[in-house]
Amino acid sequence: MAKSYDYLFKLLLIGDSGVGKTCVLFRFSEDAYNTTFISTIGIDFKIRTIELDGKKIKLQIWDTAGQERFRTITTAYYRGAMGIMLVYDITNEKSFENIKNWIRNIEENASADVEKMLLGNKCELEEKRQVSKERGEQLAVEYGIKFIETSAKASIRVEEAFYTLARDIKAKMEKKLEASNPPKGGHQLRASEPQRKPTNWLSRCTIL
Amino acid sequence: MNSKHEKLIGQVKKEVKKVMEESVTRNFIHEESGSVTSLCGAVEACLSQGLKRRALGLFKTSSTTALLHKIAKHCPEAAIISKKLQDIENLDPNRRSSSSSDSLTKPLFQKSQTVITPPSTLPQPKYLWIRLALFEKQLTKIIDFLVSNANKFYDKDALVTDPDYGSTLSSLLLGPCALDYSKTKTPDHFWTDPPANELVQRDRISSAQSTPPPVRRPILNIGRSLNTSSEETGTVRNSSQYFAKDYVASLHQNSRATLLYGKNNVKVFPANSDITVPMLGYLSLHQTPIGLIIKWTPNQLMNGFAEEVQDKSIYWEFALHVKLDEIVYVHCHQDQDAGGIIILVGQDGVQRPPIHFPKGDHMLAFLSCIETGLLPRGRLDPPLWTQRSGAQRKRRRPLTTLSEHEESNRDYVFRIIDNSLDKEILKVKRNELLDPNASLPEKIRTQLGSTSTTSSDSSTKSFSIDQNVPDSPPSVCIQTVCDSMRRQIISRAFYGWLAYCRHLSTVRRHLSGLVNSKIISSEGAEEGITLEKWKELCTDGVVSNHNEVYRLCYFGGIAQELRPELWPYLLGHHKFGSTKEQRHELDEETRQAYENTMSEWLAVEAIVRQRDKEVQAHAIAKLSSESMSGEAVPAPQLQRDLSNDVFEDISDDDYESNDEHDPAGKRTSRLKKTERNTIKYESDEDLEEKVDEGHEKDQTKFELDASERSVVDESEKKLEAEYNEKNAKKNARGTGTNSEIPAVDAHNGCNHDELKDFIHNVIVTNPSVDISNFSCEPDSPTRERDRLESVTEETTRNSSLDTCIETHGLASPARSACVSPASSNGGVYSQELLENFGLNLHRIEKDVQRCDRNYWYFSSNNLENLDKLRNVMCTYVWEHLDVGYVQGMCDLVAPLLVTFNDESLTYACFCHLMERMVENFPCGNAMDSHFANMRSLIQILDAEMYEMMHAQGDYTHFYFCYRWFLLDFKRELLYPDVYAFWETIWAAQQVASSHFVLFLALALLETYRDIILSNGMDFTDIIKFFNEMAERHDSRGVLKMARDFVLHLQVLIENK
Repeated sequence: MAKSYDYLFKLLLIGDSGVGKTCVLFRFSEDAYNTTFISTIGIDFKIRTIELDGKKIKLQIWDTAGQERFRTITTAYYRGAMGIMLVYDITNEKSFENIKNWIRNIEENASADVEKMLLGNKCELEEKRQVSKERGEQLAVEYGIKFIETSAKASIRVEEAFYTLARDIKAKMEKKLEASNPPKGGHQLRASEPQRKPTNWLSRCTIL
Repeated sequence: MNSKHEKLIGQVKKEVKKVMEESVTRNFIHEESGSVTSLCGAVEACLSQGLKRRALGLFKTSSTTALLHKIAKHCPEAAIISKKLQDIENLDPNRRSSSSSDSLTKPLFQKSQTVITPPSTLPQPKYLWIRLALFEKQLTKIIDFLVSNANKFYDKDALVTDPDYGSTLSSLLLGPCALDYSKTKTPDHFWTDPPANELVQRDRISSAQSTPPPVRRPILNIGRSLNTSSEETGTVRNSSQYFAKDYVASLHQNSRATLLYGKNNVKVFPANSDITVPMLGYLSLHQTPIGLIIKWTPNQLMNGFAEEVQDKSIYWEFALHVKLDEIVYVHCHQDQDAGGIIILVGQDGVQRPPIHFPKGDHMLAFLSCIETGLLPRGRLDPPLWTQRSGAQRKRRRPLTTLSEHEESNRDYVFRIIDNSLDKEILKVKRNELLDPNASLPEKIRTQLGSTSTTSSDSSTKSFSIDQNVPDSPPSVCIQTVCDSMRRQIISRAFYGWLAYCRHLSTVRRHLSGLVNSKIISSEGAEEGITLEKWKELCTDGVVSNHNEVYRLCYFGGIAQELRPELWPYLLGHHKFGSTKEQRHELDEETRQAYENTMSEWLAVEAIVRQRDKEVQAHAIAKLSSESMSGEAVPAPQLQRDLSNDVFEDISDDDYESNDEHDPAGKRTSRLKKTERNTIKYESDEDLEEKVDEGHEKDQTKFELDASERSVVDESEKKLEAEYNEKNAKKNARGTGTNSEIPAVDAHNGCNHDELKDFIHNVIVTNPSVDISNFSCEPDSPTRERDRLESVTEETTRNSSLDTCIETHGLASPARSACVSPASSNGGVYSQELLENFGLNLHRIEKDVQRCDRNYWYFSSNNLENLDKLRNVMCTYVWEHLDVGYVQGMCDLVAPLLVTFNDESLTYACFCHLMERMVENFPCGNAMDSHFANMRSLIQILDAEMYEMMHAQGDYTHFYFCYRWFLLDFKRELLYPDVYAFWETIWAAQQVASSHFVLFLALALLETYRDIILSNGMDFTDIIKFFNEMAERHDSRGVLKMARDFVLHLQVLIENK
């Protein structure tokens, strides 16, 4: 596939079932909202390319099944993730309480330096709110991560959330890059010739 | 060097194809589209290869941009672009003039996961001048100019200098240069990866047919063809088309063969024909695993032949296919006017049809390609190229004889020599001649062993032909040679056979468990079970020939009208051979059991719901107290949201008006709400009521006081009454009389009204079809409400619900979570059970609310169907609390419910279905074995795909199949297709394979194999592709292909 981007970031959405992970993703990737969503089975992902500081960043966002029973397959995706969105539903206390469990999941399965972010979704349902913004903020501070209240339905701050996460990942990555090869006169290493795998048709067993 | 050029050109070709396809499928191409970037990259790679550094003068790097500026003086097109480029660069002072030099530091084909470009300061697009030239439609002309002046700027071995490749490059770019490029940003702009439907569309463009391509490569040469029976006629018609498509595809560069040489409009006098005029065709030379192959194909068979040829079949006879191994001599004849002629002469001395090359150095090019192709194993004798050491550098020059400018000798004969075999064979032959009794030397034997697919150690073990060498008189040398030849032939055949056997033993070992050994013919079953067929099969309501039912269903499916009747058979609920009465009785029993189970969990549900309300109230109270004063949140809104996670409000408005604003009022109305929500299910309110009463009044923790017990007893009695009544009814049914419900209560001496109410409720509850009718009754809602009103009063009398819940927990030592409840008195439940069921209940509700809501049956107009779904689901979970609800179960219930539209039957069939399916859920372990089996199947049935998956490395976990297996493809297909898939899967257990899902998965994968292979999709691409393709598959094609795979495997295993 064509490489028309500068970075590829893999993000992961996790949180209890029904908190609106798929809707958040759908809002971000297609800027739309659909009331008749179906539960996510297994795993799905969407792609959107964004621009940050003149860099094209391709976000590959994985959407997971919320039920913890599917953990065996969802945790397989924790490993490659560079950023994780923890989503809860502000009208559902339980989903907020479970964020702790999800964090523990991340600690067990994801790489240690993964960027995390807390999303309180469905913030358009102010009258049904069960989890105050302050509690969300407090929890985020506790874990040292950023926090945003979003609404996929009303399209509130969804873009902002993903851009923030992407920017944090980018900053972290560029910092790492700088640390590993300090800039000296802007010389860049010449990339090696693409390695073609030898086609081993001769050595392979075939009946012709 | 040739291969490098070829690679570069190949890359350009690929990118041109993509750009052209994109222009067709999207109707426009954005300037920043990824395909444009890749094309420019490929062109850049071609142009920068072999660029003379010195020619560029002062520039440090060998930049093609510098080259552009350089030629701008002589080439007007380049001047235009050069000017534009400078304009752009002047706008941006940060830019250096050698803009595209950065492209050299960038990997062109590299597929890196994270960082593609090291952080640089240039946000300008790459390959700027090539882009500009492309958009300005000048690129072809500039490259033409470069090609014609190649000597100035390029080294001798550069691609641009090459007479063929140079002009190919510019002509390839004609197409993209003719396109218009857009700068408008559209939503698509962000989508750099083509979506699934575009990929499918592209595949259709590149493959002439609109049908999904079949398995390309013959998998194993088995005695019987895949389509043995009914499909014969259909495939014969298609096969020639597929053959043609395959053949033409084989002329191109592909993964199996390297294209060494290709030339169009080469003339050949076809052999064995009365055609006197030489025909034009495409000559190509391929390097394949079995050696060099020369192909010549008449133009009529090639793609894009201008004239419409009616019958192509005769041309197939003219096509040439020559294995160079069989050729010994190459005769060359030159004629200044007509170019050159090559005649190939085989081992047998037979001449192949002469090949006429047009004027130019084509024949020489062809011969040199043959020579390089033969290396290192073989060579041309005498060599085509001679070393001339006189010059400064060693330069290879063709034999003077072949250069057309020379006048002297015009004909030449080359001999093709096989270096490797040569010496050994000669040695062997000499030995043989000297000693006819000598056995075949080891060398030959191992050599033969290696030509076959077996390893040599076992082949020597099993090879015993040597012993049978006939005693021939030593004098007859020719006899010996013949014998040795015969032995070779036999041994080759033997090794081939041996390899085949080994392969088959692998197949048998891994896959024999996947299919039934008995092959059942599909004859006459394509129609499936139609109404007429069913009439034949079902005589007097008894179906005796179950094998035929399975067979017909497997091969042809079931008519939609018959599904509700037949599915219970297929799922094992109804037994074949049962009478109508027996089935009816069974259904009644099922209904009874279902109703009882439901009344059990409905009681628990009521408790769970009350607890929820309490918890919610706490949360909201907490929130409002911590943020602001309670009055700030208006009470009516609170009311509404309280009911949000339960079910739809029946009538919000009349309640809101009564709401008071003080906390007590809130609670009252909230509780009203709680009860009202349960109205929806028309549950046995009496029971709930009694249970609630019992618990609420019970203040002593471990003992129920006498009066409370009497209340519970009362409800027990009623249930008994209910049982008795049902039993009576059942008994009565035998004789055909229908006992009336009120008749029973006299015996039991219960409150008549209450019991009637209760029974009425239960009866209304269970066949949910009636719910709507019931709800429509004008008096019943009011009656219910009155009753609820009283309940509410009762509950509000209690100070706290917490104590009530506590009581529930503590008063119930008897109830365990895992044991399916045997009694329905519903008195006491453990805390554990309540929590467990409550959790499941919430999950079920969340999923029911979003289950296929776009499908009419579950749409907002048919909300009662959602309740049915929920009831079936809850009943299942109540009976299987150890398994619990897992996401996806709703998806499995839904098609059954839509088909039966009957809760208890759906429930019974779902239980049968889950016997198999439950293993797929995370609690079982079928998924892993599915993945492992998929792996083996792909390995056996599509080696090419397997290889690619292996190369990608990521395929070890076939997660893209996860949803397929978990839900029997329910999410991949539309409802009618789901039916067809499901019934085939069920019938397949009896007819062909109890792992039919595997074959369906394989067929689904194979349907898109070309797309997957040609786009080099990795694991993530495939997941995305299939998620996007959901509900858009050709289900009939997939089903048929899956059945073919089963048959194929059965045949493989049968042919032991």
